[in-house]
Amino acid sequence: MDPSPSFEDQLGALLPRLRRFAHALSRDAADADDLTQAAVERALRSKAQWQPGTRLDSWAYRIMRNLWIDTARARSRKAKFEAPAEEGASVGEDPRDSMDAALDLKRMMAAMQQLPDEQREVVALILVEGFGYREVCEMLDLPMGTVSSRLVRGRTRLLALVGEQ
Amino acid sequence: MMVPDEKFFAWLDGELPPEQAALVEAEVAKSPELARAAEHHRAMQARLRTAFDTVAEAPVPERLRPNANVVDFAAAKRARDDRRWGSPAQWAAMAATLAIGVFAGTLIAPRSSGPAVIQGGRLYAAASLDRALDTELASAPGKGPVRVGLTFRDQSGAVCRTFSDPQSSGLACRDGSRWQLRGLFAAPEGQSGAYRMAAAMDPNLAALVDSSMAGEPFDAAHEKTARDGGWK
Repeated sequence: MDPSPSFEDQLGALLPRLRRFAHALSRDAADADDLTQAAVERALRSKAQWQPGTRLDSWAYRIMRNLWIDTARARSRKAKFEAPAEEGASVGEDPRDSMDAALDLKRMMAAMQQLPDEQREVVALILVEGFGYREVCEMLDLPMGTVSSRLVRGRTRLLALVGEQ
Repeated sequence: MMVPDEKFFAWLDGELPPEQAALVEAEVAKSPELARAAEHHRAMQARLRTAFDTVAEAPVPERLRPNANVVDFAAAKRARDDRRWGSPAQWAAMAATLAIGVFAGTLIAPRSSGPAVIQGGRLYAAASLDRALDTELASAPGKGPVRVGLTFRDQSGAVCRTFSDPQSSGLACRDGSRWQLRGLFAAPEGQSGAYRMAAAMDPNLAALVDSSMAGEPFDAAHEKTARDGGWK
């Protein structure tokens, strides 16, 4: 008798975190849930590639990140033609509203969108998801120096954008 | 800054070994500028986490759940333990749901627009449901209220299709030239009309599909061929 939870149950338990990561990467909630759904589907299809005993969370995050990268180029090409109106606007202009976390989510998502993809993913994984530097190096197949310099640039820009005083 | 950025932030994130952390700590203590930077970045991260945590704390939409995922139903089915949907309690619950549907009469004719009729003790799709099962493709949903989900063959070789509309969902299988209902489940209270929910399969229906399906669900091409061939 095997007391350990099934793959699907473990994946299901990860969903709230995966959705959070998707929101940190994506432009809006609808895109984030589409990304989450696509990642869950791919994870289910790729189940055989996951080695029991290794961390399912890193594996699933990696799937989501790769899916997101796959669509990132098409997205950025499209974005060039649809220059967003809020491009230059400060996203943290009214700090009085920042008490409302749900409202602040939109503002934070908008700020994250201003970061280049390679900085955004590192900021999302370390500052939002709480992974350690080394875990992120392994997940993204990047050397420590690259991860840590992207993190410095990303979070510095983010601070300037949301204007934490 | 006296401390390189990478090192400062590694300290802030608790990534430095103790002796190096102590050195940075001492520098920060001496420098109002570094202390302020640390404070601002901590506040920013806290705000970031609080904002994104609202996502992790919110209920996950049903359509995202692995077990509710129609597209990967076959994979989920293969992966699942057979016992999972086969417990007597669940069958009893399913039978109860169906019985309520039948006897309460809310879902069944005589209402001419009802999705089902009883003939010879069997329940058949009627009216718009019958038409939808005959014509609709999951790959190209029409404008009608009925959505078709999975199409597959059961163990006897009959073509079966799942469907949902705002009030109910169910499974129908080909019986001659008609669709015999194998299960019909009322949408949960308060969810009728919520179209989003159509993507999430009622667990009782999922159980029924799981126990009926032989092989894989049809893909889009197969579904179309089957329709054009009269669901033989």
